[in-house]
Amino acid sequence: MKARKDEILTIVLFCGFLSVMLLCYLLLPKKDFSEKEKRYLEKAPVFSGEELLSGKLSDSIEKYMADHIPGRDFFVGLDAYVSLLSGRQITGDVRLLTGERIVEAPVEWNETAVQKNVSAILSFADSLDRPIDFMIIPSAGWASDNSRVATLDFFGQESYADEQHISSVYGRMDENVRCMDTLNVMRGREELYYRTDHHWTSEGAYEMYRAYMTSLNRKYLSKEEFTVESVPGFRGSTYSRSALWNVSGEDLELWHSGTELLVTNGESDDTHKGVFYRQRLEENDKYTVYLDGNHSIVRIENPAMAGAGKLLVIRDSYSNSLGCFLAESYETVVLVDMRYYKKPASQLCAQEEFADILVCYSIGNFMSDTNLVWLR
Amino acid sequence: MLFSSNVFLFAFLPAVLLMYYLSPRWLRNPVLLLVSLFFYGWGEPAYLLLMAVTIVLNYLCGAWVHIRREKGKRMEGVLIFSVVGNMLILGYFKYAGFFLDSVQALIPSLSKVSLPEIVLPIGISFYIFQSLSYVIDVYRQDAPVQKNLLTFGTYVTLFPQLIAGPIVRYRDVAEQMENRRENISDFASGVHLFVAGLSKKVLLANPMGNLWNLAQAEQGTAVAWMGIIAYSLQIYFDFSGYSDMARGLGRMFGFEFLENFNYPYISRSITEFWRRWHISLSTWFREYVYIPLGGNRRGLKRQIVNLLIVWLLTGLWHGASWNFVLWGLYYAVFLILEKLFLLKWMERIPRGVCHVYTLVIVVLGWALFYFESLPALADFLARLFLPQAVTQTGINLISAHLPLMAVAVFSATPAAKQLLDARKSSTIIRYGKIAAAACALLLCVAALARQSYNPFIYFRF
Repeated sequence: MKARKDEILTIVLFCGFLSVMLLCYLLLPKKDFSEKEKRYLEKAPVFSGEELLSGKLSDSIEKYMADHIPGRDFFVGLDAYVSLLSGRQITGDVRLLTGERIVEAPVEWNETAVQKNVSAILSFADSLDRPIDFMIIPSAGWASDNSRVATLDFFGQESYADEQHISSVYGRMDENVRCMDTLNVMRGREELYYRTDHHWTSEGAYEMYRAYMTSLNRKYLSKEEFTVESVPGFRGSTYSRSALWNVSGEDLELWHSGTELLVTNGESDDTHKGVFYRQRLEENDKYTVYLDGNHSIVRIENPAMAGAGKLLVIRDSYSNSLGCFLAESYETVVLVDMRYYKKPASQLCAQEEFADILVCYSIGNFMSDTNLVWLR
Repeated sequence: MLFSSNVFLFAFLPAVLLMYYLSPRWLRNPVLLLVSLFFYGWGEPAYLLLMAVTIVLNYLCGAWVHIRREKGKRMEGVLIFSVVGNMLILGYFKYAGFFLDSVQALIPSLSKVSLPEIVLPIGISFYIFQSLSYVIDVYRQDAPVQKNLLTFGTYVTLFPQLIAGPIVRYRDVAEQMENRRENISDFASGVHLFVAGLSKKVLLANPMGNLWNLAQAEQGTAVAWMGIIAYSLQIYFDFSGYSDMARGLGRMFGFEFLENFNYPYISRSITEFWRRWHISLSTWFREYVYIPLGGNRRGLKRQIVNLLIVWLLTGLWHGASWNFVLWGLYYAVFLILEKLFLLKWMERIPRGVCHVYTLVIVVLGWALFYFESLPALADFLARLFLPQAVTQTGINLISAHLPLMAVAVFSATPAAKQLLDARKSSTIIRYGKIAAAACALLLCVAALARQSYNPFIYFRF
């Protein structure tokens, strides 16, 4: 039987594809680190007789090949768009809303985490025997509740219960803990959050700074006192997680006040002038421009405000941008991240006199992270 | 090694195809044997030894049967030796733990007895059955003895069907082992079959499995039904996808394996379902257990007993747990009822009713198949039959999967195949099929790539 042209084409395409992929695996340079995933990729397997016999070698080869598949971004993105277009995005951990906004799935109530975190905060306030301030920042999805889930979502409707969650947590606090009204600041204002990242924007952080300072009867800088510099091309965490590569980037703003601020952190002795770490703007995750990203302890000095008192913030990454503003109203702001800081915070309080103490968490972290138990 | 992995697709398969077609004809079986052993040893090198023992045992038994026949001596002893030997291997590696647990449940004083940790060797149920079919076929003179150990080893280990079937009876491929002519037409149709199978597994079975997992954690009757239907689709596409991949790969190397699934979910009776579902397994049990037991030739009572035995074993073959036994007997009951009177009745009622009856029995059967613990099964059945409202999350879960489920249901029927086959000679269809296969392959690779894409949200420094 004579072979038909379409049969030959089938074989050429199939074998060609497999071979080209194989050659690319062998010849293309490999990356060590994935910027989008913020993780080191699997290293090339090392051959040893022991690994071979235990079956571990095959395991590491499979992981290596999975991490270094040629055209990885293309394939990952293709699958993300297939999931989106077939209506399955609601089962993932991020959602594309109208207006190219990507938000995290609703945060679910986590009784264990709430109990641990609430009792940690209560006993911390108790041990200090003074009032402390507390705020939970609602999620971007809750603030954008009016946006419909964008594509092919037939009957799906999701409700973000941030309001109920935050009220319930606040309800468990006692008179030593003053709970800040974050809901009314952020309600319905999706523009206070990034489109492609789970954090609030500089404007969002500023609004909360103003609200907090107002509640403390402290002076704060008005919006007009800042010059805003826009840095284009920011694509944050929700963008990376969605793998929807066609979503456009957005501006990240640096609000300059002209105040001279000095920053040190627990990881190095160097003092940095200003709260913005501009070299971070070259990176994929530009949000680290604020205070150089996450550190166990960060100290911001504001010589111009000498005598205005000190503020301690027990916090997560949302306070990287918030901290930049808080520094305008205090002589010193100390930011402590309990995920990395393992010394007792009460020791800090004994060493330094803090005018105010704030515990500031995003709802996502409050419901999942229990490192607050280290708060002693 | 899984077919749906980067290692298989982009390293093993291209390398093996190249080696195979560069080899002269006499070297092709040894090449296949070598790469199949590599394929098998990939995940668990330790069990290569067990594989070798099985091959040698059955090779020798086949030869022994042959020699005794030449000498005009009785061969039953050899056959029994071979059956017992194979069953001991399978029994030890697959059923010893289950057997001990069951005995201990009856006799508590034995609770101190313990077994070494046994990891189930991949594919053991398949290759033991295949090896056994060889000795029986030689004994029955259904197939000639295989004198070349390498060729016999190739038959047992042939990587396309090694891990998940189909169970290829020796007599069906005896001729192909020695003389097969690879050709472009078979290779091309093999590619299409392989890609179709891969798509069934990656694009349909995996997401359906995901839905089933999510559905179990959610409230509501509708979600429970959606979940068990998703599981029914998952298990079908998973299994038939693997069979298609195996048959497709077989064709690339010049083999033709028998069809293993023939659109089982369009059946109108349980009897028909089992003629369409995992055909190679049903055939094996019919040929090597049911008919030797006397089949239907020794009266109705004996036939019923035979059916019960076969289905008890079929259930147990699927896994070492009581729920599989129950699942097998569940089917035995319906098959017996259908033989006794149901099939006759069903001729007179509308076809739609028969379809619904069959699907409901099969779908509920999968619940029995899935839940190893009886309390969990009872819980799930309660969720299916005691009305309970669906939450918003449940509705979201259902609606998110409706489009894909529609595709899956359509793909479980022969509609597309019938449409295409009617226009087989049209150029548009022929090239359209290639374009569709190319897209499907890209989507499969995309889905596999996504599995390893795991962004960390929190990262320090």
